[in-house]
Amino acid sequence: MSSTTTSSGLARARKGLAPGGSGGGTGNRKSKLSAQTSRTFFWLLLPSVILLVLIHGYPLFHAGIQATHDGNLIQTGSFVGLENFQKVLSSPAFWKAAQFTLLFTIVGVFGSWAVGLGLALLLRTKIPAGGTFKVLLLLPWVVPIVVSSTAWNWLVATPDSLIPSIFRNLGLGTPLFLADPTLAAVTVMIFKVWVSFPFMMMMTSAALASVDTTVYEAANMDGASRFQQFTQITLPLIARSTYISWILMTIFCVNDFPTIYLLTGGGPVDATTSLVVLAYRTVFQDFATGPGVAIAFLMTITLVVVSVILYRQIRKSSVE
Amino acid sequence: MSAVLHAHPESGPALGITTTGKTRRTLSEAGMRGRWWRFALILAITAIVLVPIMVTVILALTPGPNSTTTGLTFENITGVFSKTLAGVWLQNSLVTTLSTVIVSVAVAAPAGYVLSRGRSKAVSGYSLLLFVMQSLPIITSVVPLFILFAAMGLVDNLMGLTIIYVGSTMTVATWMMAAYFDSIPISLEEASWIDGCSVFGSFTKVVLRNSLPGILSTAIFAFLLAWNDYLVAIVFLRSNEIFTLPMGVQSFFQQNLTDWSGVMALAVIMMLPPIIVFAALNKYFSVGGIGGSLAGR
Repeated sequence: MSSTTTSSGLARARKGLAPGGSGGGTGNRKSKLSAQTSRTFFWLLLPSVILLVLIHGYPLFHAGIQATHDGNLIQTGSFVGLENFQKVLSSPAFWKAAQFTLLFTIVGVFGSWAVGLGLALLLRTKIPAGGTFKVLLLLPWVVPIVVSSTAWNWLVATPDSLIPSIFRNLGLGTPLFLADPTLAAVTVMIFKVWVSFPFMMMMTSAALASVDTTVYEAANMDGASRFQQFTQITLPLIARSTYISWILMTIFCVNDFPTIYLLTGGGPVDATTSLVVLAYRTVFQDFATGPGVAIAFLMTITLVVVSVILYRQIRKSSVE
Repeated sequence: MSAVLHAHPESGPALGITTTGKTRRTLSEAGMRGRWWRFALILAITAIVLVPIMVTVILALTPGPNSTTTGLTFENITGVFSKTLAGVWLQNSLVTTLSTVIVSVAVAAPAGYVLSRGRSKAVSGYSLLLFVMQSLPIITSVVPLFILFAAMGLVDNLMGLTIIYVGSTMTVATWMMAAYFDSIPISLEEASWIDGCSVFGSFTKVVLRNSLPGILSTAIFAFLLAWNDYLVAIVFLRSNEIFTLPMGVQSFFQQNLTDWSGVMALAVIMMLPPIIVFAALNKYFSVGGIGGSLAGR
């Protein structure tokens, strides 16, 4: 981070206002202050840059080395080029995990969005104790995943757990929520929606609160139905916030480890193994560092591309 | 099941959570007519949604299979403290989380100020870099960091854990702080510059002093992330006495027969701090918030 570039920055940020004295500073004074500004900016940013290099930059660089070498956690082996990537890309387990990650992400994003939006709309109108409900409904997001996955385990894990017993008593058979591959995938996704909808509710509520209600009065006078008002007014007005919440939730879902790992461990028969779980198991259970890091790297590349594109979109729409 | 549902009406108010009256807009009378219908619906949904949390609390307060007492009891909770390392785990979690919160805010606030006030290519490039880094899977950096930290003696060490938590919270925390600083008019600083204040002086005396809501929402974010983390803990922690609470809770599952009263007692201990923090500071979080920071920039 060069200090000269930041100095011109603040000068522009000040929009030509003469700093450092009343009645308009001379050019000399101005440059003195902007030199001071750039020095200050440099020191203010330094800790952040050091941490970014140490915790993000260096590991990313080192991950690049590991992905192109064989070896394990103790010792990096010899250079193997792109062999690890080839190995990963040709393994059915990788594609199965990629497929599950995609499905998990789609259901996670749109499931939690639908529930969150519905509740935000419901809570927008005046309801007795509405504020209390709003806070209570945030709890699934606030409570640690370790805690909620424990509770969900207790509710569904064995045939004698509470929810399977209810199904049995209703004469619906005894579903094995975590032992049947399809049901386990469904359960993990419902769990994810349960964890994430409060975040979507919070985002949507904030967006809805900033919508000017006079628009609706005008629409009412024009005779627009509630549904029309929702699709023609509400959704477009909160579109930007919706878009951002989808982006964030996509990142949360793709990178999610504990929600899946704690409930099913990736099983049964790898039915709920996502890419992160696969990478974790490859490195820390199979001790195959190279292929594991290669998986993480493929995710990284995808996410970098996606997030740079999305970042541009956010920037663009914020200019408009 | 019925016990679970019945517990709800009491457990709600008992938490004592109320939000401050944010402006709630009522959409004409049509909205008012549906009030009670909506109330019933939202009550039912909340009750169903909270079942897992209520189950945890109820099991934690119900006497275990080997107990002689009946009715609600705190013996599971006292038992988990006397029979396991719960006290140590709780302390480890508190130390790690609070250090993370403090360091994270201390790093993110100045950096966020530069992001907010600087208009150069380098600054916006750094902003993009932070955005990209926060979206990357942490598993990528965990493996190299494990090797690096092993060499430095930081594996199975709370300081090592804290460093990683600070690293993973600082990206979003910086964005959150920057978004908050954006809302503080630069004219306030200009006034202080005219009075002869330095840039650093106006940052600390004018900007920081007016940023409590932004700092608190960033702090809550860092708190939740560090307190709830499981992935970093499972990779970096090895020995019982270094465990944080998530590892402590998980350690109950290694036995063949899970001690449900014990695990639920520990789970309740683990979920109380975030709930207390959120109940007390919720209004700050909805002002700032992760989404808000992105939406604002």
